[in-house]
Parts: sequence; C-alpha cells; structure tokens
Amino acid sequence: MNGHCNLKVNDTAEEFLCNNKGFSELIIDSKKSVVHRKHETSRKEAEDKSRLPALEAAYTSILRELGEDTDRQGLLRTPLRAAKAMQFLTKGYHETIDDILNNAIFDEDHDEMVIVKNIDMFSLCEHHLVPFFGKVHIGYIPNKKVVGLSKLARIVEIYSRRLQVQERLTKQIAVGISEALQPKGVAVVIEAAHMCMVMRGVQKMNSRTVTSTMLGVYLEDPKTREEFLALSQSN
Amino acid sequence: MEHSKHTQYASSEKKDPLDPGSVFNGHFDGLAERPAGGTGRAAAAPQPPGGAESGSQRPVMESWREERTRSVEDNEMSLPSLAKSYTTILRGLGEDPQRQGLLKTPWRAATAMQFFTKGYQEKIIDVLNDAIFDEDHDEMVIVKDIDMFSMCEHHLVPIFGRVHIGYLPNKRVLGLSKLARIVEIYSRRLQVQERLTKQIAVAITEALQPTGVGVVIEATHMCMVMRGVQKMNSKTVTSTMLGVFREDPKTRDEFLTLIRS
Repeated sequence: MNGHCNLKVNDTAEEFLCNNKGFSELIIDSKKSVVHRKHETSRKEAEDKSRLPALEAAYTSILRELGEDTDRQGLLRTPLRAAKAMQFLTKGYHETIDDILNNAIFDEDHDEMVIVKNIDMFSLCEHHLVPFFGKVHIGYIPNKKVVGLSKLARIVEIYSRRLQVQERLTKQIAVGISEALQPKGVAVVIEAAHMCMVMRGVQKMNSRTVTSTMLGVYLEDPKTREEFLALSQSN
Repeated sequence: MEHSKHTQYASSEKKDPLDPGSVFNGHFDGLAERPAGGTGRAAAAPQPPGGAESGSQRPVMESWREERTRSVEDNEMSLPSLAKSYTTILRGLGEDPQRQGLLKTPWRAATAMQFFTKGYQEKIIDVLNDAIFDEDHDEMVIVKDIDMFSMCEHHLVPIFGRVHIGYLPNKRVLGLSKLARIVEIYSRRLQVQERLTKQIAVAITEALQPTGVGVVIEATHMCMVMRGVQKMNSKTVTSTMLGVFREDPKTRDEFLTLIRS
C-alpha cells in the first residue's frame, strides 16, 4: 500500500475521490502506484503548440461574434495572445506532483506544525472561464518527513492553473500533500474572490469565498485545528 | 465615407471652449449642442457590428469615435456560435467538455463574455438624455471610487479598478449616477486603459460642455498579475485632463487632492 492507509483520511474524502468520475484524468487516484502516477498527464507541452491554431480560430470567431472589428490594430494579434494566455492559465494540466517534489523531501525529526500562508493563487472558474484569485494557507504536521517550503507553493500552482471549482482545488492540494509526505495531518484554507460573482451576475464587489480541507489530526483534534486557524489568520 | 464624416463635423463646428491644443484628431470639430451632439455622432457613424470598414487604414484615434452598436437580438443569434467556439477552446486546452462541471460551460462562458462586452450595445445618448440639469453651479463636482471592470483587448483577461471623475460645470450639471453609467458603457468593452480614460472624459465633455473634466483610472491588469511578468501588486494609473483641468495647475491639484483623501 502506498502509505495512504497510514493517514486517517475521512470517509468523505475517499468517497469523493472514488466516486467522482468526472475529472477522471485529473484525479489523484490514491490507489495508483508511484510509477503509474508519473505518466498521468492529459496534456503535454509539445501538444500545446500544435493546438494553438484551433484555439486562435476559436478566439477570432468569438471576437467577431461579440461585434468587434478583428482587423483593427489593437485586435490584430489578440487571438494568438488570448490563446497563449489561456494555455498558460491552464498549464497545471501537464504538471504532476512527482515532477516538482522529487528531490525536496527531507528526513527531519520535527513533529510540530509547519505553516506556509498567504500563497497567492490564481485560477479559472470552470463554469464561466473567468478568473478567481485569492490566498491559500497550508499547514501540516510532519511525520519525520518535511518538504521544501516552496514546494507547497508549487503544489498550489499545479492545481490552481486549471479549470477549477474552489472546493475541489482545496481538496486536491490537501490530498496531494498527504500522498507525497504521509504527514500526521494536513490543513488547507483558501480565501478567494470570484470574478464571476464580482464582474457579472450578482455583482457583489466585496464577497469572498472561503473553503477548507482538514485531514488527519487536524480533523480529529480541535485544538490542533484551532492552532492552525489562529496562526494562519494572524496578520 | 471618411471624407463625408469630416465634412459633416467641420460644418457643425462650434467654438471650442475647451482645448485649443487638442490632440484629438478632429474630434472637437464635432462638438455641438447637447441633443444634436449625440444624435449627430450616432447618425454620422452608424456601425454594423463586425465593421463595414476595415480598421487597417484608419488612424488610430478614429476607431473609438464611432459608437458600435450590437443589439439584444444580435446577442441571442450569436450565442450558438460563441458556445461552439468555447467548446473548441475547452477541447484545445486538453479538457473533457463532457464532464459534469463543463457540460454547460460553453453557454455560460459565452453569456458571460457578452455581458463583459455589453458596452457595445449601449449608446451615451440613451443613458444621458434626461439627466442634464441647468444649475447655477460652477464649483468642482467629483464622483470618486467608481468600481470599474473591463476586458483587456490584447489578452481577453479582466482589468478592474476604480475611476475618479471630476468636472467643473458651465451652468449644466449631470445626474451623478450618469457619470457611473458612462463609465459602464465604455468599460464593458475590449479596452486599453488609456483609451478608456479618454473616452470617458470626451463623452462628458460632449454631453455637458463643462469648463473642464478630469478622469483618473487606477486599475489592476490580470494579464500582468496572472500571467506574463506576474507582478501581484502592480497598478496602472492613467488620467485625462481637459479644459481648465489641463490649463490651470491649481484646479488640477485640487482635483487630485480630493480624490486621494
């Protein structure tokens, strides 16, 4: 077993992972072995270039349908720029945890909480293709293995640079860290502003959405959870 | 078509109280009385969507003089093809458009994009018609911290920020919310921040013929924050000062101080 059973993952997380066939290619399949995970990408960098013309054509058609004049100077190369921008904003699809974590896990005899907070996060709402952005706070209690601090931010990048739903993003980050480190517990809190609510629809400028995932000892022990929440919210 | 437009503007030219050294290529030629100004422009420059004229030979400033029109019916008719383009985009990004979260995304994204560019459907004249009042007021009027959301025309990524508007009335004042509506009309388009600032200032000038107008926009560009250089805290500030705001440094100072407080 790949160490996943060391963690007391709550039932709903397991259920969520197993039952949600929707994002089958993107799922962190907890049963897959490390070898199989290496090949788990649905998009490779070389493919990006070959897909660019189709994306450009789609954007040109969008501009025209919106009533704009695609020949004016400001819009001449916009389809290409917009296509590249969109590919950048979804580049998380061709990155995996293994690529970035491989060398940065260290054996340290440390079992106190480690928190990295205020990680800026930018993602795309999968329902409206409009950005949402905010801050991610991550805490974990190592179990003899600590991870390089920037790797936590890189894990956030991998999962956020995709078409996302904030709830799923939070869980994916938490589960990704769990799998890589097998810590005693992981906590992830995301506070974000959704442009789909701010720029359109209800148009509430100051609304923020907060989601959290608590795994392991953070779920079971309220005091640990409180400590994390107090430390990550303080400013 | 270009020549006839210029002649029309030239013939209706009034004394320009605002800016003798105008850089706006012929734009102030078109200054006329309040109702004619708006209608005159709209009548002189009817724009079918998609451009009956190719933009490649037009001087840069001309492209924002015309008020492009797009109707609500146009929106409904273009929805299927917009949705189809978005489906292509989803597939091109390596996503599965059939998964539950993405099933209706092309339609939602298309409607959202139409909302973000709804400024193309609206004309200043519709918004301003009744809200110009004769008041014997000649002190500065400022409306600040107007939230603004636009789309970068280069990357199709949002821009958002705040607009501060000040003007010195010349016997005519404007309903305050109309200033915010003018901002909405011009910002809900594919924009460049410099052009947006100028368009707002010029629209107010044309509607009211005030002694002066000042517009300052402070915005965050997601194309710089989410991608590219990725500078989280960067803000872009642009301003347009017309009339007495441009000529008299004290007036400009007063405006800038008041919007900062």
